[in-house]
Amino acid sequence: MIHFSQSLTRLIGELKKLPGVGERTALRLAFHILKSPRLGKDLAESLLEVHAGVRFCSVCFGITEEDPCCICSGERDETVICVVEEPQDLLAVERSGAFSGRYHVLHGALSPLSGVMPADLKIAELLRRLEGSSIREIVLATNFSVEGEATALYLGGLIKPLGIKVTRLARGMPIGGDLEYVDSATVQKALEGRNEL
Amino acid sequence: MAITDCEALVLAAADFAEADRIVTLFTREQGKVRAVARHAKRSVRRFGGALETFARLRVQLVLKEGLCSLRMADIISVFPAIRGELAKIGHAGYACEVVDRLLPEALSNPRLYRLLVSYLEHLEAFPPTQDGRRFFEVNLLNILGYRLPLENCVRCGAGLAAGPGPALFTGTGELLCGRCGGGGRPVGAETLLLLRRSMETGRFGAVRFPPEALSEAGAVLDAAIGSHLVRPLNSLLFLREVPGADPG
Repeated sequence: MIHFSQSLTRLIGELKKLPGVGERTALRLAFHILKSPRLGKDLAESLLEVHAGVRFCSVCFGITEEDPCCICSGERDETVICVVEEPQDLLAVERSGAFSGRYHVLHGALSPLSGVMPADLKIAELLRRLEGSSIREIVLATNFSVEGEATALYLGGLIKPLGIKVTRLARGMPIGGDLEYVDSATVQKALEGRNEL
Repeated sequence: MAITDCEALVLAAADFAEADRIVTLFTREQGKVRAVARHAKRSVRRFGGALETFARLRVQLVLKEGLCSLRMADIISVFPAIRGELAKIGHAGYACEVVDRLLPEALSNPRLYRLLVSYLEHLEAFPPTQDGRRFFEVNLLNILGYRLPLENCVRCGAGLAAGPGPALFTGTGELLCGRCGGGGRPVGAETLLLLRRSMETGRFGAVRFPPEALSEAGAVLDAAIGSHLVRPLNSLLFLREVPGADPG
């Protein structure tokens, strides 16, 4: 790497740590920040602000600046909890506008190959939320990867005996999907879950 | 830069950079290769759900030294029944991890490929059992050239079943006859016979181990596999510690 001033080299080094940012992109971003002093100042302030103010909600473990978060303390259906792997999955469900219940973020998924075990996730915290509560349904919205499926199956095995309804997101054709380009496993699931018109 | 079409099983997959995935493939034709699937997370059309652990695929690879490039992947099977049961996921994950860890890169091994496909097909159709797992393990070791010496004492060469007592499995991982063995876990003649039979028949479910023989075979195979690994298998920990992952 070409050595610029110490501070610029440090900035490039820090930018390179971001996902998807390589040497050239980091260099381009660093020069862009350098050329716009206002942007650099605002960016630095917002980074500090985020680190100082943002934390995990003590109830759902989503990202928040107030504890409990606005979803946990707001007027939502308390009897349904949607379980997701990561905070960004919570945002995806929220963006759909189709869910009015509350959430629980696991912060990962069980993985036999990577050695991610139940104790590494917020599973014990979920079970504590269910104790003596009025919750009647858990929606398992973990991803449809092997890890997400393993997590959903494991949680289903823990929660069903508590007498709580456990549901899983449906699988099938995406909106605007073209059958020709959809993989056979998805078509199979779509056929299994077909609905009457 | 050679482009090749082959059949493959996904042994492991991980996200890489913004939108790529790196997959470890066990191909029937080229052996184990690591390949990058560019834009796999962005383009559902290109790879769909193909790049998932233990999916069986038809792939097109650009072969390079080190990291290959995955151009295309068509699903043969994603083994949906395995994905629908935690115990099956645990056992299939174990099989993929142990193959990944013991198989060197870029060495074609069609026999081992057939064994792994057969095990996944067996798991797809039947509940996972310890018999099936041990059958897979003893054949895996045999195919990889780590065959257990099940006939003769490694010290004196006498028949293991002919000694005054049962054969002994020592702490150093050797099978000794009753005369040579100073101590260790006894391994009955029936266990040795069933392990040998497992290597003779190529069919899952054909050999059934009684509980005592299963326990003895398990101890021998766990130690034998462990002796070839630098660090413990994550999936083995998963099988042992996650309730419901191992039916026992």
